[in-house]
Amino acid sequence: MNADDAYVIGLTLLTAGLSTLLIFPFGIALAWLLARKNWPGKSLVETAVALPLVMPPVATGLILLNLLGRRGPIGVFLQSLFGTEIVFTWKAVVAAMAVMSFPFLIRTARIAFEEVDPRLEQVARTLGAKPARVFFTITLPLAFRGMIAGAVWAFARALGEFGATVLVAGNIPGRTTVLSVAIFSDIQLGNEGHAYRLMAVSAVLAFAAIIFSNQFSKWGAAR
Amino acid sequence: MKLCLKNLRLRQGTFLLETDLEIDGQVIGIFGSSGAGKTSLLEVVAGLRQPASAFVAIDDFVLADSSRRFSCAPEKRGLGYVPQDLALFPHLSVRKNLLYGCGRSRDTAPGIRLAHVAEVFEIASFLDGPVSALSGGQKQRVAFARALLVAPRLLLMDEPLASLDHDLKWKIIPYLKRIRDEFKIPMLYVSHSPAEVAELCDQVIVLRAGRCLRTSPPGDIFESAPSIILKPGIG
Amino acid sequence: MKSIKKIFFVCAVLLLLMSQLQARAGEIEVFAAASLTDALNEIGAAYEKAGGDHVVFNFAASNTLDMQIKAGAPADIFFSADEAKMNDLEKAGLIAKETRQDLLSNSLVIIVPGDSPAILISAAQLASPVFKKIALGQPASVPAGIYAKAYLQKIGIWDQVSPHVIPSESVRAALAAVETGNVDAGIVYKTDALHSKKIKIAWEVPPAEGPAIAYPVALVQGSKNGAAAKKFLDYLRGPDALKIFEKYGFITKS
Repeated sequence: MNADDAYVIGLTLLTAGLSTLLIFPFGIALAWLLARKNWPGKSLVETAVALPLVMPPVATGLILLNLLGRRGPIGVFLQSLFGTEIVFTWKAVVAAMAVMSFPFLIRTARIAFEEVDPRLEQVARTLGAKPARVFFTITLPLAFRGMIAGAVWAFARALGEFGATVLVAGNIPGRTTVLSVAIFSDIQLGNEGHAYRLMAVSAVLAFAAIIFSNQFSKWGAAR
Repeated sequence: MKLCLKNLRLRQGTFLLETDLEIDGQVIGIFGSSGAGKTSLLEVVAGLRQPASAFVAIDDFVLADSSRRFSCAPEKRGLGYVPQDLALFPHLSVRKNLLYGCGRSRDTAPGIRLAHVAEVFEIASFLDGPVSALSGGQKQRVAFARALLVAPRLLLMDEPLASLDHDLKWKIIPYLKRIRDEFKIPMLYVSHSPAEVAELCDQVIVLRAGRCLRTSPPGDIFESAPSIILKPGIG
Repeated sequence: MKSIKKIFFVCAVLLLLMSQLQARAGEIEVFAAASLTDALNEIGAAYEKAGGDHVVFNFAASNTLDMQIKAGAPADIFFSADEAKMNDLEKAGLIAKETRQDLLSNSLVIIVPGDSPAILISAAQLASPVFKKIALGQPASVPAGIYAKAYLQKIGIWDQVSPHVIPSESVRAALAAVETGNVDAGIVYKTDALHSKKIKIAWEVPPAEGPAIAYPVALVQGSKNGAAAKKFLDYLRGPDALKIFEKYGFITKS
């Protein structure tokens, strides 16, 4: 393990963490809306959210590149507002990870909300609680474990993200090269030994995420 | 208490609930077989279901008036609701369950304080424990107490004794009578058991297939027969 | 039991189909550098029309092809964009040495997006802060990137330029990056630049000044279609093929 490897691992953890934090509030809100409400265009939204799961990641990456690039609508908007570019920077890594891991968060969180007995929410309302209070005192605490599980899944998915990331952020050593891209690079260059070492790190991180998720569920259930 | 359920039309798939009635009573039963619409009627009164049209009022308090497109939100109706599955909050202690409705904005009426209610319903000994540790009968009493503590103008009960065994039923009925006699809270009591309805209610709405057949005291509806609730000490 | 029979049947059909997907006898597999894509596609079609075998191409950066052949990919001919990758395979005993030949050369150009106002009056101006992002093939592995880095080092601006480099996994990927406008400039082969209408050539590196670019081609050792592949190799050296290469801007050595 040298300084470059440490940078790659650190960058991967930080960007994955940041992307999970970013999608969490939106994901929870959307998951609740999907679980509890009906509105026009709902199935369209459901399909759009599921797309990154089904489409090849590079296809999603291409769409992101067209949106976030210098000539893309979001890219131009951000350029005029903040004067910054996103593509080929760590911000694009976060964006790609966020898009690819979003469906994982939604799926798990939505099920968590659906498993909250609506009867409990109804009774809470008859006891005088406004919908906001019902959400924060009844729905959220009961769905909490599922929400955290969703966040962990999203984080794990972000850790392994490759196709969209490499397209929209490139493979710039020391700047946007994340773990999965570094492994690919090593294979391309014939550095198989180093590739296997990075793979081991990747496996350890994945294990850690899953063990944490399982422990968290057990802890929640034992309460 | 006078209950108005006029021009009520609620459609649920192929099921249609229609009533147009006014009824006076302290404990009003809603009687019918399963599928007759009893729970739906209760939910309309609670504000948990929006019918296509309705005029719902308790004494002078209008809960819903579709002609004026008015429907009071459930949290503002001042009712207590005990659903069939009790719906105790599993993640809160018994005490927190009981006090859920007694927030800063809701004052409990004089005479309905936690200590008193806990004593009456004999739940004081497990107030700070989890809901999961309670027996069926204990959960029932907690559910009653929770609905009572918000000092409702009307208590809605959906088959409160249906899941209890025979002995337990006999033990719980006195508590219901205390709600009626001591706390003097009017009740809307859903049941498919003639014996319970006969025992507790002074007026009965008979529902079949979504329609109200008649409203009258229980004595006019049920053949008087030996009480089919066994007296205590036998069997 | 019925369902097991069904599964067997489906597997058998799948295996049969898969076997058809492999190159049939008489099909030649050519692993060639990405920059040769358009020229070779046309040559392959001309060859077939003239009565030759069907040629199947696998285009990628030469280092990728190098790795694939080492891993046992079924190539009959390897057409590389630099000597280093061919040497690598020769050392591993994977090519038929006696068939190796330097067939083509190329020159480098600096390109900018089609709507860019940038003008270069010398290559050194690439170091200007105007060029915030410059697309090259991976300077450590992709031949086009290696050549580009060598040239920039030669004119002494590599240190200033390298923080702006966006490495791509092939020269065509670098070209594509410039086409989308997501980078400010790129260095590709002249042949790639001629192929695209969405970019402008801002500076041509005179062949004498640039690095010596060589495209060696050779037969892969142990190829199943040795005779057919040799025939195609001869065709590549022949006047018809060379004319097509020149049409696309390659410098032919004959």
